[in-house]
Amino acid sequence: MKVKEAPPRADDVSGAAHLENTYVEGLNLVGDTPEGPLMELNMGPQHPSTHGVLRLVLRVEGEVVRYADPDIGYLHTGFEKDFERLTYHQAIPLTDRMDYLSPLGNNLGYALAVEKLLGEQVPDRAERIRVILVELSRIGSHLIFLGTHALDLGAQSAFLYGWREREKILEINEMVSGVRMMTSFIRVGGLMGDVPPEFEPAVRRFAREFRARVDDYEAMLSDNPLWIDRTRDLGVVSADDAIGWGVSGPTLRASGIAHDLRRDNPYSGYEDYEFDIPVGTRGDVYDRYLVRVREMRESIRIVEQAIDRLAPGPVVIDNRKVVLPPRHELDTSMEAVIHHFKLVTEGFRPPAGEVYMGVEGPRGELGFFLVSDATNKPYRLKVRGPSFNLIAAIPHLITGHIVADVVAILGSLDFVLGDSDR
Amino acid sequence: MSEEQGPPADTEVEAESPQAAVLRVAREVLDERVPGGVVGFDGVPPEQALVINPDLLVAVCHSLKEDDRLRYQLPIFCSAVDHLERDPRFDVVYQLRSLKLKGTIRLKVPVAEPMDGPPSVPSVVAVWPGMGCHEREAYDLLGIHFEGHPDLRRILMPVDWEGHPLRKDYVSFGEPVKFSDRGSFPPSSAVPTGGGQ
Repeated sequence: MKVKEAPPRADDVSGAAHLENTYVEGLNLVGDTPEGPLMELNMGPQHPSTHGVLRLVLRVEGEVVRYADPDIGYLHTGFEKDFERLTYHQAIPLTDRMDYLSPLGNNLGYALAVEKLLGEQVPDRAERIRVILVELSRIGSHLIFLGTHALDLGAQSAFLYGWREREKILEINEMVSGVRMMTSFIRVGGLMGDVPPEFEPAVRRFAREFRARVDDYEAMLSDNPLWIDRTRDLGVVSADDAIGWGVSGPTLRASGIAHDLRRDNPYSGYEDYEFDIPVGTRGDVYDRYLVRVREMRESIRIVEQAIDRLAPGPVVIDNRKVVLPPRHELDTSMEAVIHHFKLVTEGFRPPAGEVYMGVEGPRGELGFFLVSDATNKPYRLKVRGPSFNLIAAIPHLITGHIVADVVAILGSLDFVLGDSDR
Repeated sequence: MSEEQGPPADTEVEAESPQAAVLRVAREVLDERVPGGVVGFDGVPPEQALVINPDLLVAVCHSLKEDDRLRYQLPIFCSAVDHLERDPRFDVVYQLRSLKLKGTIRLKVPVAEPMDGPPSVPSVVAVWPGMGCHEREAYDLLGIHFEGHPDLRRILMPVDWEGHPLRKDYVSFGEPVKFSDRGSFPPSSAVPTGGGQ
């Protein structure tokens, strides 16, 4: 194996290299500008406002950020390497743990990618339940955004409100799968199992109550002059810049681009549901907040439509080479026992080929690029987490802002480090 | 490329799938704007990729982004696939999205590993700044060198990490462990790669 020459230090901020190094002991002065000295400021990885283990190396002139370098990788766990030694089924729990605020969304993206490779279409009931759970996850993720973002800016109540409602979503997760967060409920070929009878009334009750809750959040923040003062015209990103930086999801929509994969490239039957795509006009922190709050309302609309159309039926495909046979068949059918044994020990073998499947995650386009060599394990599985591009765009967004505003801008991007580091 | 082929002619006459149409349009535009840029198609329909000549990659990318018929403005990701036994060894893969056409396209650049250096392709940061972080990741995890990248350094692994973990000859679960009295144990080829082969 070839070894590269030692790379430069992680905190060697690009673009600052031309500055004359005037390091003064005890002051962290790293260079001079015509206006004054530059100081290096290390923000994170334990900083509470970096929402995970993001480290930012800032070079500040007084209070103003002149250069920024996001340093990620603290949560890097080598999932992509692990995928190559796990069967297609074993990989599902890893997908939960990438974007840990929306585990079901990750399950769905992965399952759809493998199903695309297999050429399988899951039954209607499975699709509806998938949509309900994924939209609830999206709401849960946006609630965490709302709570932590508002907390960063000093509005503590929103945090408690947000976590209260999220708890109800986690209870629904627990009801269907037995697990609150890392559910692994969405499987290749359908679902882990059918939902219990109390699922439907619980979702309906949540949807009914939640509409009023969103009104509460909006009453707290949307017209609050302090909130508007703090977030208006801050961290503005133009639509062209956002696209060029590969930013997608609510952050792109806040810049005025109505791009949503659920509508533009529908999957899982999203084309059947009626929903609007909230867009912003200015692309600032306030618009990013507002777009997410409005998206929660649209998600509730989708959930209600899906639960109305939920009809009895199977929740897995009828292909015994891919999904496990029902438990009761194992008692009577030798075929079922063989299928069960082969699937558990070896897994299934999709045809050789490669697919890309992008789904609309709570943070933007979550993509799975899967290369199969017709064995029971992925040859290569590349995960495109939306947070990765959001973090790459941070220097562009915060340069020129004061340090206190960095916190507001980071919060408004709503990245998850598990998603970017994988 | 072993499977270089266009979309099968008979299916094209009957009913062209949306993805095949996207590829056909992209190829027509690129053949017009950058002759010789597209070498062929790769993969199984409908999920095919355009194979691009590495020398013309940047020109191809500019055309994909700027041509009004295509507008592949949104960079989704860029990565690489290590085909250890194959020559050329690596495929560098670019996935792009067009908001105008509401679809994605995949470019593939086969790259050989030269005897005296890392495999290298031109960087497309000048076209899409959002590809910069993905190129850093491909450099970090697969050791692909992107010529012209302004800031090519590791992004996920520690700065002093040796090797590129996503290469197929990189032993997983065999990292050397340091002991104060006995030096370090190198990764052994006897370490199982796991997964119950």
